[in-house]
Amino acid sequence: MQPTSSMKEEFLKKWQMGLEIVRPSIDNTNVSERKKAIKLSADVAMASLRKGTTCWSRALIQKSATEDNFLVRQVLSGIKAETLINKKLTKKVVCHRKIVRRSKKISRRKSRSASEEAAAKAKRIVKKRTQGLRSVVPGGEFMSNDVLLLQETLDYIVSLQTQVNVMRSIVDAAEAEIER
Amino acid sequence: MDLTGEFGARSGGGGMCRESTGLESLHLGDEFRPLVTLPPENAGGFTALLELPPTQAVELLHFTDSSSSQAAVTGIGGDIAPPLHSFGTLTFPSNPVLMERAARFSVIATEQQNGNVSGETTTSSSANPDRVKTEPADADSSQRLVSDQAAENQSPCPSQNNRSGKRKEFEKKARREKINARMKLLQELVPGCDKIQGTALVLDEIINHVQSLQRQVEMLSMRLAAVNPRIDFNLDTILASENGSLMDGSFNGTSMQLAWPHQVMETEQSYHHRQLQPPPPQQWTFDGLNQPVWEREEDQAHGNDHNSLMASSENLMVGSENLHPNQVKMEL
Repeated sequence: MQPTSSMKEEFLKKWQMGLEIVRPSIDNTNVSERKKAIKLSADVAMASLRKGTTCWSRALIQKSATEDNFLVRQVLSGIKAETLINKKLTKKVVCHRKIVRRSKKISRRKSRSASEEAAAKAKRIVKKRTQGLRSVVPGGEFMSNDVLLLQETLDYIVSLQTQVNVMRSIVDAAEAEIER
Repeated sequence: MDLTGEFGARSGGGGMCRESTGLESLHLGDEFRPLVTLPPENAGGFTALLELPPTQAVELLHFTDSSSSQAAVTGIGGDIAPPLHSFGTLTFPSNPVLMERAARFSVIATEQQNGNVSGETTTSSSANPDRVKTEPADADSSQRLVSDQAAENQSPCPSQNNRSGKRKEFEKKARREKINARMKLLQELVPGCDKIQGTALVLDEIINHVQSLQRQVEMLSMRLAAVNPRIDFNLDTILASENGSLMDGSFNGTSMQLAWPHQVMETEQSYHHRQLQPPPPQQWTFDGLNQPVWEREEDQAHGNDHNSLMASSENLMVGSENLHPNQVKMEL
């Protein structure tokens, strides 16, 4: 599952479109502002590749829309930008689970061998890591289960690799251009 | 899924009930009617017992036909208990007295149901298969004692727990397998991750990889910001120059070579001028299908922006050009 050339092409096109839009705002600012705008446009371009079919892209689009609504609208043109921007991601409300878990814990704690203890510890660590992954992947806290989370992570990593590959080749070429 | 299964079981049970009610009344007649009066709390307990999980109910219903036909073949005196218990997960009490009681109770239930349609479908349907099976056992059941009825009352409960536990375990297993498959894919995707054992470590590695990619994007956009004012110029030319490596040769190389020198020679003014018009068609031959759409989008998006933009960006071009070498060095 490596980034395909068609994906890169698509990303490049979208990104170029985004850059065209943000150019008026970044031309007369400092480097950090420009960097922010470039990153935003790249993110929107990456998210728009998925056309809102994945959770992470929706989350990214919504996050970007709060910063630059016009840009997102333009880049997303044609793929139901309105619905994607305004759609509320529903966080799953888990009520009373904590209480149930706590009560279970108390009842279980009485009889537990060393191996069970170790297994429980490993489980806890995995849970912690999963939470970490949730915080890293955009929209991770809205993904209802672990299977979905891993699936989205897969997709997100592929998209990120596409983004990085394209950006790197552009930056390298741009810097080489300036050196000349 | 569970709901539909249950519903199917129920509706199927209703059908079975009706056809076997006739059988029941034919066999038993008035002889058993006086015996039918069960203590209410006992009946309640039995109904509770017969509240089977839907899968079990389906299983039972599934076997109803064969068991009833078997019963018809073996006749009344035969010992039906072994075939009854050969049905895999079926763990009903072998005590014929109890079974007889169940049969009678279910007769009542079905009668009630016939009278009042909205009522106890669950009870009758789940009780029904049991009754059909126990029907032949009625004949030789009278000598048994009712002593272990209390024990029997509780016996289906653990089995029910077992069953739901089994189903849960199965679901858990399927989920775990799914997760493992995803994990394997992720391991392949993340470099250097395929040799690591243990879920937590793999997850660690994945998090690191994602974070490093995100940082790379930050860094690259920073570098790009340093060379920004010429970036859109570069995008076109880079498209041409980098196509070979970037797009795996999916572009038409010769047309790119033609476009390249022309663009390099362009001055700042002509560069801006060129932007007001759609890009030359031969430059985009690599993507004949999508191009018209893209062009249209870009034009409508920026056609009106560029006039106001030109003046300011031209001024800035000079200033930021001076910044470049320092910034690039700082970044590197």
